[in-house]
Amino acid sequence: MSRALLPHDLLALAIESLWLHRMRTGLTLTGIVIGVTAVLLLTTLGEAAKRYVVNQFANIGTNLIMVQPGKTETTGMPQPLGGTVRPLTIEDVMAIAHEASTVERVAPVSIGTASFEYGGRTRDIKIVGTTADYQKIRNMTLISGRFLPPGDPRHGEAVAVIGRTVATEVFAGESPLGKPIRIGQWRFRVLGVLESKGQSLGMNLDDSALVPVATAQRMFDQRSLFRVAVQARDASSVPQALRQTREVLLRRHQGEEDFTLITQDAMLATFKSVIGALTAALAGIAAISLAVAGIGIMNVMLVSVSERTAEVGLLKALGAARAQILSLFLTEALLLSGGGALAGIALGTTIVLAAAAMWPDLPLQPSPVWIAAVTALALGAGLLFGLLPARRAARLQAAQALRGRM
Amino acid sequence: MSPAGGGSAPARPAGTGGTGPPGAEPRADGAVIELEHLSRTYRVGESEVRAVDDVSLVIRHGEFVALMGPSGSGKSTLLNLVGCLDTPTAGAYRLAGEAVQDLSEDRLAEVRQREIGFIFQAYHLVPRMTAARNVELPMILAGVDPRARAERVARALEAVGLAPRAHHRPDQLSGGERQRVAIARAIINEPSILLADEPTGNLDTRAGAEIVALLERLNAGGLTVLLVTHDPVVGARARRILRIRDGRILSDGPPESPAAAGGRMGRPPEGVA
Repeated sequence: MSRALLPHDLLALAIESLWLHRMRTGLTLTGIVIGVTAVLLLTTLGEAAKRYVVNQFANIGTNLIMVQPGKTETTGMPQPLGGTVRPLTIEDVMAIAHEASTVERVAPVSIGTASFEYGGRTRDIKIVGTTADYQKIRNMTLISGRFLPPGDPRHGEAVAVIGRTVATEVFAGESPLGKPIRIGQWRFRVLGVLESKGQSLGMNLDDSALVPVATAQRMFDQRSLFRVAVQARDASSVPQALRQTREVLLRRHQGEEDFTLITQDAMLATFKSVIGALTAALAGIAAISLAVAGIGIMNVMLVSVSERTAEVGLLKALGAARAQILSLFLTEALLLSGGGALAGIALGTTIVLAAAAMWPDLPLQPSPVWIAAVTALALGAGLLFGLLPARRAARLQAAQALRGRM
Repeated sequence: MSPAGGGSAPARPAGTGGTGPPGAEPRADGAVIELEHLSRTYRVGESEVRAVDDVSLVIRHGEFVALMGPSGSGKSTLLNLVGCLDTPTAGAYRLAGEAVQDLSEDRLAEVRQREIGFIFQAYHLVPRMTAARNVELPMILAGVDPRARAERVARALEAVGLAPRAHHRPDQLSGGERQRVAIARAIINEPSILLADEPTGNLDTRAGAEIVALLERLNAGGLTVLLVTHDPVVGARARRILRIRDGRILSDGPPESPAAAGGRMGRPPEGVA
């Protein structure tokens, strides 16, 4: 004797009863569809944002390793200088360039703030001290003029390459090339103007001026570099370049690892995890609508149970076990949530694909992981919110339920 | 599975102790229903209502029994007890040889499925299902192989004379036809006993007579029938009448002479042992 309904019967009975109330079923399904579609669209946007950032990251250069003075346990800001921490010096940079065979380019970076003055106009901007190699490392292009000249980094000339914003704000239409300017107390000559790159790695080069690193260190009386940008020969030699850079620096720092090496990949991973968290938060907000839809299922199922009290009584009189009644109502709830999930996935995917076709620049694409997650979520909601009404039906007393209207 | 006497119900030795009931025939030969001092009390506020009060009786295989009594006499409660829809507060109940008074709800459901066919005054057909589907329902619940069902449904509908109406829904059938669908449904799992609760209560005289004739025909074929009715005309068709009042059996015996019973709406004589 079997105490479980055959799957085929279970499905047929559930569909028969859902079909009877097509309007109600349709409205409940709509709630689930909206919830599922919302989750899908928001997570797709999050994924697109992640992909966008990855693209931006590739834009700042490839196969990069950043060296910062001081030892930090996690990626992030270096510790304040002082104590036993040795400064990162231009000589360190030169040693890396000469000795690390898998390093393609290496550039020092020092940073300060100063007032930039020309023709009576002043602007406080960021001053970045570096070398000629920095241009290729950061994929910088020039609108006009030329970049910092190559040469011994220990000797700096009084020349500057300025960012786009500085050029438009301070020079107001004039060509800045060759113009004498003043940065702090120092006189400079403008060599070139950078193409706009916007904000990247926390540095807006549009509103800064690049000067030779030795000049910058003299201006700001700095002993240590802010950081050193190392570019490996190619992607596969990044780990080797990392090791070689570390060896060179260790040797020069008497075996003490008082510096921090961060690969571009590690930074990217940090960004990705931040955006991933944001995406999950968005999905969580969208999931609220799914929860509301789940409550809709519960409402409809409760109405259904009370309408069908006499039917439940009859089924019990005919010998239905509690588990059978439970499975019958749960199947209806799961059909509602599963059907809504399917329709929502179809709708969400269609919208995403249509948007991707309309704006090809956006890296939009439906994510199979989120589709699976939202399906599980919808079915879980159906199960959770279907359970209470189903239990209520299963626990009805047969004799009393039979007296209910049929 | 055949859990006769298994589980929670201890085997009851015959005529045990001081309560030795006069009507207690343990495992009477051919008995379908054996009630021993069966009681069902409800608490209503402070007071206790004895809806069924110390009822002992035996119904044997093939009997056609009518249970009669005024409203509130306890006949519905007794029928619910016999139908395993309710459990007694005291006493013992053996159905087809199995002690059922202490079974769990799900075990009782199994017993109902196997042993009992129900017919109700209000038919209790599922409105969205065709006649055939309604008749199929008990087999669905019993997990009968789907390939075997259609033929059994056809046979049951044939037996109640409704084969041509198999694919009509209840709202397309007359009252008498609906009740015949309900009867087909009640006999589809071949129960030990058919419990009919006012089966003619919603029907006109002619349709009612047809239903009673159908029940008689099924009874003649060997099916045990217990029928609850107000209607003395219907009751008179039984071969044994149980009269109940205030939860107690007042009388138990064959009906009066056909002439007396046939009197239209004549108040049935009472107190005949």
